[in-house]
Amino acid sequence: MFLTKRTVREAGLVVGLSAVLGFAVNAPLVVRWLKGDLDQGFAAAKTYPGIIQITLAEAEDLFAGGKGLFVDARPSSEFREGHIAGARSLPFATADERALADLASGIGPDHALVVYCSGGDCQSSLALARLLAGRGIKEVRVFPGGWSEWTAAGLPGEAGE
Amino acid sequence: MIRNRAVLLAFRVVVGGLFIYAGALKIADPLGFARDIENYRLVPGAIAFLTALVLPWVEALSGAALVIGLFKRTSAGLISIMLVLFIALVTVTMARGLDVDCGCFGALGRKAGWTLLAEDALLLFMALEVAFSRPGRRPPPS
Repeated sequence: MFLTKRTVREAGLVVGLSAVLGFAVNAPLVVRWLKGDLDQGFAAAKTYPGIIQITLAEAEDLFAGGKGLFVDARPSSEFREGHIAGARSLPFATADERALADLASGIGPDHALVVYCSGGDCQSSLALARLLAGRGIKEVRVFPGGWSEWTAAGLPGEAGE
Repeated sequence: MIRNRAVLLAFRVVVGGLFIYAGALKIADPLGFARDIENYRLVPGAIAFLTALVLPWVEALSGAALVIGLFKRTSAGLISIMLVLFIALVTVTMARGLDVDCGCFGALGRKAGWTLLAEDALLLFMALEVAFSRPGRRPPPS
């Protein structure tokens, strides 16, 4: 029998100690949470080093000025169906060292890297941006509005590879 | 059940080490982990926040206990329970077709998918072996 008095006591000790440590180490964060500081969402309360979130207008400016290097983090099947004109496909699910290095070497000094996914609450753009920022690429931009906001605004897209 | 002591020790080091690593990464970034939990859209923000504070410590402490051999069976049991939860979570998430970062190893984000399930299953096997095996002795008659 696995559930003996002893295992229950030991498990209680580990979990209890974790709770004490978790709260003690994050005391300032707990205070902020109780004050309602984190109600706007945990991502908004936290800034990721090297990652800049941009709006549709900013994305459009970069696109119009030819300064933006758009990177599509969605699966390649969705990329083929339609993507921001001139965007490169780098699906987060298959983003390996080589793909990341390839992309990193293709960024010119004047280019702003803009990562996007389908929009709404898709996560792969931010996840990919974190990978890229972790590789030392400075100022990775994330366009959270993504493909859905882009097409809704009637901005240019294209289909195919 | 595997009864070879060297194999069981290797299991403890691998599983415990991974849990120390996974826990430490999340301890360093509680808000990032809270967001990852919230992204699964299964629990309200308050629960995501409290889980993000405590769960990484449970991972790291039970991982450490497993490696040094303190509370071996209990910590292997705790880790097995966590792995069962993770597997259920990833399965539900895949079934719902959500695009989420699994939140397993902090910023080394990966998507919830098949390889992740396979890895979790392998870890679960190792943890259960440690929790239930009787190394070097005959299993008690049942």
